[in-house]
Amino acid sequence: MPRIGIFVRLKEKSFQLLILSPPKRIWGIIMDKLFLNIKKIMLVDDEPELLKMVTEILKDDGFLNIITAASFHEAVSTSKKEKPDLAILDVMLPDGDGFSLMQQMHTFTHIPIIFLTAKDEASDKLAGLGLGADDYIIKPFMPQELLLRVYAVLRRCYKEDVSLVSLEDCIIDFSRAEINKNGETVALTAKEYTLLEILARNDGKIVTIDSICEALWGDNPFGYENSLNTHIRRIREKIESDPSKPVSLVTVKGLGYKLNLRK
Amino acid sequence: MKEKRFQLLILTPPKRTWGIIMRKSFGKYISGYIISFIVFTAILALINIFLFGWTFYNTFSQDYGEGSPQNMLDEITAASTATSPAGPAVEKLRDKNIWAMYVNQDGGLFWSVDLPYGVPSHYTLQDVAVFAKGYISDYPVFIRSTENGLIVLGYPPNSYTKLLSNYYSISTIKKLPAFTIIVLVIDFLLLFFAYYLSKQKIIKNTEPITNAIDALSDGKPISLSIRGELSEVAESLNKASGIINKQNEARANWISGVSHDIRTPLSIIMGYADKLTSASFLDSSAREDAEVIKWQSIKIRDLVQDLNLVSQLEYEMQPLNKKKIRFSKLIRAYVADLLNIGLSDLYSIEVEISPQAETIIFECDERLMTRAVSNLIQNSMNHNPQGCKIYLTLDVYEQSILLAVADNGIGISSEKLLELQSRPHYMKSVDERLDLRHGLGLLLVQKIIESHNGSLQIESEIKSGYRTTLIFPSS
Repeated sequence: MPRIGIFVRLKEKSFQLLILSPPKRIWGIIMDKLFLNIKKIMLVDDEPELLKMVTEILKDDGFLNIITAASFHEAVSTSKKEKPDLAILDVMLPDGDGFSLMQQMHTFTHIPIIFLTAKDEASDKLAGLGLGADDYIIKPFMPQELLLRVYAVLRRCYKEDVSLVSLEDCIIDFSRAEINKNGETVALTAKEYTLLEILARNDGKIVTIDSICEALWGDNPFGYENSLNTHIRRIREKIESDPSKPVSLVTVKGLGYKLNLRK
Repeated sequence: MKEKRFQLLILTPPKRTWGIIMRKSFGKYISGYIISFIVFTAILALINIFLFGWTFYNTFSQDYGEGSPQNMLDEITAASTATSPAGPAVEKLRDKNIWAMYVNQDGGLFWSVDLPYGVPSHYTLQDVAVFAKGYISDYPVFIRSTENGLIVLGYPPNSYTKLLSNYYSISTIKKLPAFTIIVLVIDFLLLFFAYYLSKQKIIKNTEPITNAIDALSDGKPISLSIRGELSEVAESLNKASGIINKQNEARANWISGVSHDIRTPLSIIMGYADKLTSASFLDSSAREDAEVIKWQSIKIRDLVQDLNLVSQLEYEMQPLNKKKIRFSKLIRAYVADLLNIGLSDLYSIEVEISPQAETIIFECDERLMTRAVSNLIQNSMNHNPQGCKIYLTLDVYEQSILLAVADNGIGISSEKLLELQSRPHYMKSVDERLDLRHGLGLLLVQKIIESHNGSLQIESEIKSGYRTTLIFPSS
């Protein structure tokens, strides 16, 4: 008997999903990761072994287009020719430094840039981010740390491409600021939209209370905890089947919240 | 619990400095000063008295001895009659080159001995009144009144001086003792003042030097500029500081260079080890080996990073980048990052921030502070490979911010705890015996806390966990 129940529920749901959203949109949801994986990434480092390893890490995770360069000048010409979507640069190159390379690249392209460097001085980090770098990874690093940052930067920079997010019990349509749950459409308020967006962008990762409050109320978000709780409760009513036992918008005690996307 | 924490704080007072010691015992210092000055003046007075006594003893024995006017007059008066002077006394007079005469009531002479040429032989009342106090033809004369007349002794010219007008008013004499005492007191005060000033000057000149030596022994660079006699000392101190500084710089640069160069190869090792841990073509034992390589590489990474940071902080190579931040935000951001990157299922982290601590603003170097927290959490994980719960709490107690990292793991024995608190290579300095077997995690934490005027306290009991509390003054 239970088996049948599950079967029925599954079927109903997929049926609903099919009706609610045209095939093109479903494609979009499923392809979130694939969409990022087809982005072209350029690696610049003078150490061939490191280039090989990072290439393997990225390829193993599904990235398809990876190009490499071993020097400043090679990087400039390659990026002009190949037009990558993201560049990972070493700070110390045999014929120049990564910061000037970034400045030079900024004259013809505005792709996101992540620095990968053995230097860990605070001043270098500030210099890198101040010039417009998107992130900074210090060697030595674990492969998942690199992947995490690459995905985060890609999502942040190409976010307009992700307008549909599928959760356990509903679908969020960011282009319309709507929730589709069980065949019903519910509109999102501006605050709810911002909140869901920041959580969705960090798919499954914890976003601290501080980051959320800053996104919602600006730089000095003191004493907004209660308002935040109210917004979270309202969102749960819109997105969860059972708002008292949330599965998508989960509280991480003492830290913040995370939004579990359906894979 | 909280009381215990503060007792421990009291046990480790802040570093003493020369300046504080000076201020603390200033009274004692000054009294030592006065005592030394009094001893000095007493010795001076004794020397004076001795010299004075020694010099004047001879004079007194001569002036009031055998040949003195007093004595001679006594002898002549006793031995003489109105008709003739006594024989032996006359011999004595001649021996000493003294002349004598006996003036009678009428002004004539009963007798005379060796009366020089030019000395009159008859005296009026007026003459007597004049010479009685002084001289007869430049000869100092001394007189003795007898029943019949006046015995007069004439000493050679320039042997004695006579005071012709020796009178003082009684009131002047009466003032004399008070006057002497006042003069002595004024002299004493002036002397003390001069002594004090010169002492002060020496201290003023040497204080920067002692301060500099103190700073030098703490490994801090100094730059002295002193004029005068001590300028040479200052110069050699500056030179020594320069050499030490250069050596420190070289050492820090060397460490930073090594730690830089090791990073790329280590990245490659870590990357491939991680890849092999999940490679499907390997059997499970090979994958386990890869896991070991991965974790050992991570240990090397932590060590290298800590070593570099410790040396940067130790030699003050890197300025602190202090900013006012919400402490609670820093902690949440760090823990969220840690969980997002992925934490083994063996460990769980609980964050508890008290409502008062929630809004605490603390001026600190965000990166270093995060690093300190990270090292403490890593320590808990490293010491509990079987897994544990980690508690991170932020609280405010009176004027202090308390940040505690605790776990419910295996803990350490009390002997080990004592060792941890007392051994220099765990906590104090990289200059001491550097024992890398235990890592530099705690040492780095200590350095970071020092640079934020905080203190650190470790509590642990075997089998019931381990707790490190960082205590910062809240501004």
